Amino acid sequence: MNDETFLNERVQVVASFGEGLNLCRPLVFKRPNGREVKVTELGLRHPANKGVRTVHIFDVTDGGTDYRLELDTERLTWHLTMEADHYE
Amino acid sequence: MNNGSHNTSRPMIMHIDLNSCFATVEQQARPMLRGRPVAIANRRTEHTSIVTASYEAKALGVTLGMKVWQARKLAPDLVVLESDPPKYRYVYHKLMDIMKRYSAHITMKSIDEGVIDFYQTTGAMQQRDLAEIGYEIKQRLYDEVGCAMNCNVGIGPNRFLAKTAASLHKPNGLDVIDHTNLRQVYGTLTLRDLTGIAYHNEARLNKVGIYTPLQFLDADVTTLQKIVFKSIVGEQWYQRLRGWEVDDTTHDIKTVGRQYVLEARGLPRAQILQRLHNLCESVGHRMRSQGKAARGVFVYAKSPTAGYWHRRHMAPLPFFSNQAIYAQAALLFSEAPDTIKEIGVSCYQLEDDTDRQLSLFGDELARVQRVTAAIDAINQRFGDGTLHSAHTLGTQRHVKQKIPFGSTRYL
Repeated sequence: MNDETFLNERVQVVASFGEGLNLCRPLVFKRPNGREVKVTELGLRHPANKGVRTVHIFDVTDGGTDYRLELDTERLTWHLTMEADHYE
Repeated sequence: MNNGSHNTSRPMIMHIDLNSCFATVEQQARPMLRGRPVAIANRRTEHTSIVTASYEAKALGVTLGMKVWQARKLAPDLVVLESDPPKYRYVYHKLMDIMKRYSAHITMKSIDEGVIDFYQTTGAMQQRDLAEIGYEIKQRLYDEVGCAMNCNVGIGPNRFLAKTAASLHKPNGLDVIDHTNLRQVYGTLTLRDLTGIAYHNEARLNKVGIYTPLQFLDADVTTLQKIVFKSIVGEQWYQRLRGWEVDDTTHDIKTVGRQYVLEARGLPRAQILQRLHNLCESVGHRMRSQGKAARGVFVYAKSPTAGYWHRRHMAPLPFFSNQAIYAQAALLFSEAPDTIKEIGVSCYQLEDDTDRQLSLFGDELARVQRVTAAIDAINQRFGDGTLHSAHTLGTQRHVKQKIPFGSTRYL
């Protein structure tokens, strides 16, 4: 089985808002333990509903680990909800 | 129509099929999975069936329907992920958006495939080379969803040949079947490669000496209609194989159902009934979302000792509420075997929910209708399962909403 860890960590995110397919693109995020993760690729962004709230789910990678970030559009908060690495 | 000849018109039906859809979407979302054998299951346990495998996993012999533990023997490095319906729904809607740019006449056949009917589109669009449009759609999928996404495109004079063309070169192929290469393509296929020919139909054909698609094509209509299929279906196959359209039909919804493989063997009956109740709530919600009420309830159970067990019941009047469905299902279930590994419930004999017959209990019926509508509205606004019976409390973490295969009604 792969190594998926499900989390609910509030993270600080630097994101760019621009044009094109992905209007919002997370670039770097900082975890509560102080570790900074530089996003090298945005795999997929898709919206999902949490009750009446819409969250945007960003599946990203730093080149070694896949992460799932969730942007709550109502509260404007970012959470790291999944980390998956190695797959060994 | 035709008198037995092939349809020689320009092929203008395009079938688009996302390759290993769920696995590819996961590989798109999670770049570290690309190039690795990936399988998607509805639950991450060793006894769950695989619903999609990536091409890397398929190359190692992993197939759909295989249990996870069986797949691991073939592919020890297999990465098994639990299905993520919102992600697949998003890609489904993206594919639909791309297809709608070419024609208003599109039909989504399932969550990962759709058909564009260019016979009914604008003159300007019809003048374009459809193969060129096919490559354009592939590029748009790549640009607008992601670089790991690819699809098969098939073009033919009818839906059947377009789908057949889409299955010729996987992954990422584009093929055209028309009257000029029809026999050549059939010559490379087996009967089971034809959509709609599975075990039983193959056996029927074998009984009259038809073992290949070419023999099927050369069979006369009377043999197919009177001896093989013993119905109009025989004539439909005769037309379909020659490229004439017989599948441009929509079917009314006939049943609404859900099933659940119990998370553990030996669950007490009370807990199994809770899960059955959860399924009934889900079935009721789906049925009402289509504006339907039911007359019949069907329940089944699979037991490791007693095998397949089922019961059904027809009510004198249509019903629509979760409570009514569960009351009947639970009653039927009282005769179910002791040890159970899978349960299912479905409603049938559906009718429109707009014209309910007046009953002696009209006031009571109206009250139930209002309460049910209010519950549905709350669940619609705040998410499925916000309001549910106290009896099903705690079952949501086991009985999760999964991808409805086949139908796109609930996407």
